[in-house]
Amino acid sequence: MASVPPGEWVPHVEAYVDVSRPAAQHSASVDALATLVNKDKLTLFDLVAKMDMYLTTTDHILRSRGILLLGELLSRISDKWLDVNTITTLSDFFISRLSDWPAIRGALVGCLALLHRKQGGGCIVIADVKRLVESFLQNVQVQSLAAADRKLCFQILSCILDRYPEVIKRMDGEQLYWICEAIDEEKDPECLKLSFHVVEVVMKLFPDPSGLAAQFASEFFEILSKYFPVYFTHGVADDLNATRDDLSKALMHAFCSTPYFEPFAIPLLLDKLSSSLPLAKVESLKYLDNCIRFYGADRMVKHASALWFKLKEVIFSLSSEQLLLTSGSPKDAEKNKNQMVSEALNCLKTAIVFIDSSDKDLFINLILFDGDIENKIHSILSAERSILSSVEDLAQVNALGSVISILAQSSTYSCTRVFQEHFTHLVDALGTSTDYESRQLNTCNGSSSTSVNYGALYLSVQMLSSCREVALASYADCSSIKLAKVSWWLILEKKLDRLIHLLGSLLTIASQSMHSVLRGEYVSCAVKGLLTLATFPEQCSPLPANAYEDILYMLTSVITSKFENIDLWRLSLKALTSIGSSIVEFNASQKEVIYCRTVVDNVVSLVESYDGSMPLSLRLEASYEVGTAGLNYMLRVARSLEGAVVTNISKANGRMEHVTQLFECYSSRVLPWLFTSGGINELALSFAMRLLDEIKYLTMLDRISSQGFLDSLMMGMKLLVGVCTEEQQTLIVQKAYSMVSSILPLPLKSTHHHLAVGDFVPSHSVQETSLVGMLSSVIIGLRPQTPVPDMLVMINLFTVFLLNGKLPAAYVLASIFNKYLHNTEFSHENQLDKILDDILERCFSTVLANSYSKDKSSGNILSKIDILSGLAWIGKGLLMRGDEKVKDISMFLLKCVCSDEALASEESYGNDSSDTSVAKSAAGAFHIMMSDSEVCLNKKFHARIKPLYKQRFFLILTPIFLSKIKEATSMTTKLALYRAFGHIISNAPVPAVVSEAHQILLVIVDSLAKLSVSLQDKDLVYSLLLVLSGMLMDEKGKECILDNIHITISVLTQLVSYPHMMVVRETALQCLVAFSTFPHSKVFPMRRKVLQAAIKALDDRKRAVRQEAVRCRQTWCANFAGRPF
Amino acid sequence: MVMGLINANPVIHEKKERRVRQAPESTDENAVEPIDQLEIFDILLYDFPEHPYSLEQLNVVTEDSVELNDESNHVRVTFTPTVEHCSMATVIGLCIRVKLIRSLPPRYKVDIRVAPGSHSTEAAVNKQLNDKERVAAALENPNLLDMVEECLSPTFD
Repeated sequence: MASVPPGEWVPHVEAYVDVSRPAAQHSASVDALATLVNKDKLTLFDLVAKMDMYLTTTDHILRSRGILLLGELLSRISDKWLDVNTITTLSDFFISRLSDWPAIRGALVGCLALLHRKQGGGCIVIADVKRLVESFLQNVQVQSLAAADRKLCFQILSCILDRYPEVIKRMDGEQLYWICEAIDEEKDPECLKLSFHVVEVVMKLFPDPSGLAAQFASEFFEILSKYFPVYFTHGVADDLNATRDDLSKALMHAFCSTPYFEPFAIPLLLDKLSSSLPLAKVESLKYLDNCIRFYGADRMVKHASALWFKLKEVIFSLSSEQLLLTSGSPKDAEKNKNQMVSEALNCLKTAIVFIDSSDKDLFINLILFDGDIENKIHSILSAERSILSSVEDLAQVNALGSVISILAQSSTYSCTRVFQEHFTHLVDALGTSTDYESRQLNTCNGSSSTSVNYGALYLSVQMLSSCREVALASYADCSSIKLAKVSWWLILEKKLDRLIHLLGSLLTIASQSMHSVLRGEYVSCAVKGLLTLATFPEQCSPLPANAYEDILYMLTSVITSKFENIDLWRLSLKALTSIGSSIVEFNASQKEVIYCRTVVDNVVSLVESYDGSMPLSLRLEASYEVGTAGLNYMLRVARSLEGAVVTNISKANGRMEHVTQLFECYSSRVLPWLFTSGGINELALSFAMRLLDEIKYLTMLDRISSQGFLDSLMMGMKLLVGVCTEEQQTLIVQKAYSMVSSILPLPLKSTHHHLAVGDFVPSHSVQETSLVGMLSSVIIGLRPQTPVPDMLVMINLFTVFLLNGKLPAAYVLASIFNKYLHNTEFSHENQLDKILDDILERCFSTVLANSYSKDKSSGNILSKIDILSGLAWIGKGLLMRGDEKVKDISMFLLKCVCSDEALASEESYGNDSSDTSVAKSAAGAFHIMMSDSEVCLNKKFHARIKPLYKQRFFLILTPIFLSKIKEATSMTTKLALYRAFGHIISNAPVPAVVSEAHQILLVIVDSLAKLSVSLQDKDLVYSLLLVLSGMLMDEKGKECILDNIHITISVLTQLVSYPHMMVVRETALQCLVAFSTFPHSKVFPMRRKVLQAAIKALDDRKRAVRQEAVRCRQTWCANFAGRPF
Repeated sequence: MVMGLINANPVIHEKKERRVRQAPESTDENAVEPIDQLEIFDILLYDFPEHPYSLEQLNVVTEDSVELNDESNHVRVTFTPTVEHCSMATVIGLCIRVKLIRSLPPRYKVDIRVAPGSHSTEAAVNKQLNDKERVAAALENPNLLDMVEECLSPTFD
């Protein structure tokens, strides 16, 4: 490789060594040199030879720069292969330089770079590492260096520890002492993070009980303990490479690194638990949790009792007043307290699980026989304290419950012990269900107000859930639990019946007598208890089948009869859903049968029933929620919904208004759920078929359309067909077609015979229209690959209906042409093209004929308008697939938009009758073409959508519209043109519009001015205003607006008082605020106008507008007026 | 203008639970939403010149200290300086006045008062704040105007 002459690279060296140059230039010159070396255009030998003077001079500054350059260079060529000689020479050099304290930075950088080199690229030999460590320990006094150098030192240390631990392993006590010295009194956060890591690794290197770690544990811990708890308030923004969490985590790892820290760490942490600083408490709990895991049971046993007492203090927040003073608002204090309690509970759990000494009763004795705990339980059991009176009581009971359940959860043995000790008493304290009924009577009479013992209820439910956890953990050998002479299982079984009935009666009592805040607690507790019992794994469930059924029955009866109490109702529903999913999870066949019989059947029958007392929305919610528990249940729900729809349609007393809601639930919730879980299968097919069967009878159709539910039925049909597979769709469409052809006198396959427009018109009954509507919705939902029988006949049929102004026919034609035009799979590809031409021709002539004939019956006008929007739909179909014919349609529509001009010259009167409305609806047609639709031509119904079709259409039509607008003479034509173009602009993607800003800005502004006169165009005005504000946000758009700033601001100030729509006024003011970023000289002349408009808007009738006006006025006052007001 | 802290360690009051404005239930375009107390109070929540706390936290202005009569176009704001001898009282009053003049329709008459008994020169301050000649003159003073602007600007960041 040709090397570069020294003349080219020596200036880089000189630039680097010169301290007066800027830092950017320094790094640039190192980069340049590194590139040369990496590309083999410069050898290290040449470089060092030339740099000779810089590396050895007695001038400290020059020498240190020189060595630093070599070090930096080395760290940038870490991927380049270097031979052994080079590496050894470099190591020799840098190791020797460690003693050169004025130039230490370069030596440190160089050593670090050498240590970091990868195995394959030539790396430092182990003997050199040893020498490096020796020299390092001998020469470098870490704490006397600057922060950046200290960081390098710690990086070197941790790199050696991570990569060459064997070197450190041979260290003696003196050297370890050096490390202690190095990290002592460190204060820089980044260095601290590294030094914590160093301690962690060093301590892990000497696990031997007689090793160095054991000897030095107290020294190291003394240094570490100064940093606990980590208090560090710098945020992310401070540009430091360390956060409080990082530091705290690093320190925690150091604490846990060796069990030899135990004698020092645990007392410290326990001591800090009594601190009044919330942070210290939370940190100690976290550290304790980790330390318990790492120090091992043997070492921790002796701390068990101290640990429990401290944790107890935190969990039952015995010193809560103290904390309130130190933390800010009561809300923060509450949050802190909750965090502390949950950390403490975690810690307790870890302690119980990890400290498994030979004495199995260690924690049981500590906790169960603790004086405080016994007192608390005793006071709960005693009758006087049975009524829950305040929120503090609630918190205490919750804490007690958590402690007991953590203890019981830990093992089968402790679960049994806890049950032996307390369960029976607690259940007895609850009383019997007959008690409740009598109490209930009493409260009704107002004579007594005894209530349920909440504490006992909560504790027993907590115990239930913890024994469920135990059962889940020992899932495999349940038989041993059942066979044992003493076990929680037996105790639970004895009290089971009583408990279930107690909980059940809690659900049924009307609990008005209780305090309203706490009532929810009772109910949720009872529901939770029932849920826990019902979700025991089947093999070790203490529950006999009939008890299981009882529980399900209780919850179901809440669903069916207690919907007035919505909280209870929701809770029960959720419980039922979880029970259902647990059955699926455990694959419990026996339970599934019971569940289906008791729950699913009952809930599903709610949908089918005609009972009007319960709102339909709740009934639907119940069945959907229950369905989500499993695929089989959801299928059942789907079938019942189907049944409900069909009966509601077919029965004379059926309720049509429910059909919409049922369909809504079916298509928007049930179908998507089934889709994601893959169980859709034949469901949609059979539903669609049944629907078709039902509407066979004309009377039925009559009823449907007379009650106005045809639309929802059609929508449902489309959705059903949309989700079917091609084969299923074929079946549906064939059936629909044969049905229609049996009722309507369709011509046989005479393809070239057109049905005359009048063919059906006389008998154009409501039923036929609805029938065709249903057929059309079937076809709209088809996939493009599905074959359609007798396409031509159908197109013919639909054309006739279209010409009579029926919109569903337009939708279906649009879908057909969108999907099948030029589709070679169908034999009629050429014909389809011709037929399209033909249809368009007929539509055009119908519209035109009516338009110029003088007899203007209103019916004609109406159907003409419908034909126009029908044309727009077909145009949309073609536009979406990117067909050229859309041009014909759009040109025709454009002609209609301009048509009243011709009319105005012919006729002197009636400008605003038929033709203006034709012009108006032609303008509206552009809206149809550009906007997205739910009815047809979307993804759900498998339309063909070419990317960026809207943008293309916009770009094609813009020049045409611009020239038409220029030509237009009459105001009405201009308005119609503005409307049509406005629809196109506002629906086109904003970036496309902004890129054309220079052409259309004036048109937009003028449209805003002209259209704001009439009430009907308010939505259009708003969307155009949004486009304008989009331009204001764009750099290019801004430039363009700057050229026309006068007129734009004038129009905006007019819109500030637009009377018809609040959002228009608000947006106009926001636009005016945006002008404040424009150049001062351009905006300044407009200030008076804007300020006047803003002041007027200060008294607007809507608050949102007033707020914007204040903002606008302030911005303009401050920026352009220079006056206080 | 050098502004030393006159009251370096004020009592900070808990922010009151704000009355949350319900979204208007009628979407009627013509329904009138009259200007009310809460709206004026919202306008006034800008930063206090002396301390990095809002007027609300310092209890200088509360929602109840705004009195409004929409029919007779009259607003009265009564504010309480943090200490009796607070030399900033006139500046706070001036800020409140400028803020209200900028934010309310011109039909309103704005009346600004120091809460009775809360300031050593109460009468003088009241007189100064409600004399339109003196207010106008104060705002002609570029230093004073800059200070008022500085007080009012953060609301819009």
